[in-house]
Amino acid sequence: MSANRFLATGNFFTDYRQEQRIFRTHLDRGMFVVFLACLFAWPLFFEASNRTMLVINNILIAVVAVYGLNLVTGFAGLISIGHAAFVGVGAYTVAGLARAIGATHPLIVHWWPLMILAAGGMGAVFGAFVGLPAMRLKHLYLAIATLSFQMIFTWTIKFMPTFNQGQMIPVGRVSWIGGTVGRNNHYFFWYYMILVVAVICGLAVRNLLRSRYGRCLVAVRDNDRAADAMGMHPGLTKVYAFTLAGFFAGVAGALHTYMFRGAGFESFTLHHSITYLAMAIVGGLGTLPGSLLGPAAIYTLELQMEHLSEWSGTFLPDSFNLATALRPLGFGLVIVLFLMFEPRGMANWWRICRSYVKLWPFRY
Amino acid sequence: MKRNSFGYLVVVMTVAAGLAFSAPAVAGETYQLGMSLAITGPTSDAGNPYSKGVEDYINFANDTRILGDAKIDCPIRDDMYETAVTKRNFEDFLDQGMIFFLSYATGANQALAPDFTEVQIPVIPASMDSSLMKASPYIFLPIASYSHQYVGVAEYVATHHKGQGTAKVAAFIHPSAFGRAPLADFKAAQAAGMKLDLVEVVEHGTDLDNSALLQRLASKGVQYVLCQTVQSPVATLLNDAQRLGMAAKTFGEPGKITFMGAHYTGGNDLIALAGTAAEGFHWTTSYRVTSEEGPWTDWQLAMAKKYARDDKTANSHNYACGMMAAQIAVEAIRRTREAGKEVTRATLYDTLNQMNGDKAFESLLAVGRMTYSATDRMGVDRVQLYVVKDGVFRAVGEPFRLKYMK
Repeated sequence: MSANRFLATGNFFTDYRQEQRIFRTHLDRGMFVVFLACLFAWPLFFEASNRTMLVINNILIAVVAVYGLNLVTGFAGLISIGHAAFVGVGAYTVAGLARAIGATHPLIVHWWPLMILAAGGMGAVFGAFVGLPAMRLKHLYLAIATLSFQMIFTWTIKFMPTFNQGQMIPVGRVSWIGGTVGRNNHYFFWYYMILVVAVICGLAVRNLLRSRYGRCLVAVRDNDRAADAMGMHPGLTKVYAFTLAGFFAGVAGALHTYMFRGAGFESFTLHHSITYLAMAIVGGLGTLPGSLLGPAAIYTLELQMEHLSEWSGTFLPDSFNLATALRPLGFGLVIVLFLMFEPRGMANWWRICRSYVKLWPFRY
Repeated sequence: MKRNSFGYLVVVMTVAAGLAFSAPAVAGETYQLGMSLAITGPTSDAGNPYSKGVEDYINFANDTRILGDAKIDCPIRDDMYETAVTKRNFEDFLDQGMIFFLSYATGANQALAPDFTEVQIPVIPASMDSSLMKASPYIFLPIASYSHQYVGVAEYVATHHKGQGTAKVAAFIHPSAFGRAPLADFKAAQAAGMKLDLVEVVEHGTDLDNSALLQRLASKGVQYVLCQTVQSPVATLLNDAQRLGMAAKTFGEPGKITFMGAHYTGGNDLIALAGTAAEGFHWTTSYRVTSEEGPWTDWQLAMAKKYARDDKTANSHNYACGMMAAQIAVEAIRRTREAGKEVTRATLYDTLNQMNGDKAFESLLAVGRMTYSATDRMGVDRVQLYVVKDGVFRAVGEPFRLKYMK
């Protein structure tokens, strides 16, 4: 490592411990603190509409969910196309309990941090269970197994009266210091809560990847036989990856339920699973920044496509409904182009930017 | 000097033109409405003509100055049948100062019901699910609920069945609350005295062939199949019944099965999907259809022509649904203005609640008068039975009120 930990201009690692540091330089750490401070401070200085806050909160919830998907698909190399179902498990842990004991029961509205953790735990249990086939299955076969879980989840929610047969289950407004969080502060309050959870989860993932458990995931992904020969248990590692993915998804689901003040099955369909996968791919599989960039990019793209579709509807002939077709077409096209020309995702752009800045002012 | 004069002239003319164009905008108030519905994605076959109905009626209200010099602005957003997007659209509309919301899907309405109550905004949904009336006092159904329409079909069977003994029926329903809630009300009507023998309940999947199902129902002596779902599974069922020679062409034809359904099972889309197999299908709704002659048909087709809609849209009952939703909102604003009150969410809510008795609203597009009050959230409470005859829906008798359901 460079003697100067403020401005490292190259790779000067002398041991593994240095290489595994979360922040390579003080500048990195400083930048991260400033970035975090900005995230926490901006709502205090700029007035954002409820719509804007809702969009941002949705992005942050997706970030938490994609952390999990990235662990299982990006780091452990296991295709999961049932991730929305895991998010749904977390959402319905809170909503199902609210239906059973009442939407405004103290456990739901006062002990909500506990409920979020419990939802994560339930997601982890389901993740472990669904991950069991991973001990025997690989590639497309495993994808089908996760798809089955998605189908079973949808069917269960839509048929069981416990879950209101898929109809919305309302959840009361939560309490915080000073009383119930009212409508005026709802999105603002949840912005901070979700942000805190997203930061904690992000740091947890980053730390996990520095540990032997994290390295196990990558080793099993790259070559499970070699990993086996090295003394790792590929099967259990895969189950463990699914468990972690389920935990993050469960937490995201609980946040979703609280933010939307209820849960309905429409938010946890196969379409959403595919969208989560698209977020992970566009962001960059197997990268932590990818989990942040992917959801932001997909949501922004979706909003822009909505605007484009709305704007084009003002002059395109009505009879062909071209304006409505523009949205899915444009959305799909951008993702395909992305996969063709930047398969490593947006995280690669971030990497390029970082390495460019890292060498400054001694670039060449 | 000459050049300067020309410059002044340009400035004066620009200012004058600016004032002239801005004059109409400041002369009258603009009332902000909002609509979020599925123009693409699931159920867009209904949402698309519905949105055009809303758009055309709002344009009509502005063009014909129904509100005098005031205007209505009603942005229509596609939510792709996703609750999260509906919520985003709703919040956006609120930020823009919306005073009346036109909503769509059952799920989205249920999700947003607490918000409707909190912000106290009147809402007209496209979904006629009876649970919405309980979810928020601010939701006003334009016509009879799905349950009313379904029980209406059943009551018609109970009253008009000519065979011996109690009529044997099967329920063919959507595998969701949309299908199950009306079935629960059907059973409640049975408990209240409606004499029908419910032989089997079928929650359909996405089967492409219903031969086995139909044979089973026939073997159980089922005479009527009452459907509560959307058009495509009904069309498949009808096609199979025709192929097997089991479909009754007249009501209660002996040895055959008479197929009947509520609201979203029927309409011209069903005829387009099922073709000749739709002949003899009985359908209830509270809307008028353009295949029946009357002033409503002339008006609906004239509206569609005025705003350059194609034939399919012009004759769609979903187009009529959309127009009627917008009509209710415009009428509420008109009456509030007429009463000399400021048009706000609260005054609109009051106006809607007073829409009863002499003040009931009559729309050409529905089969009855629309009444709302503090305890009545269902606009038109009568239903009309239609039957497919020679490729179009024809009215059977007069609109009726339900005996076994309030």
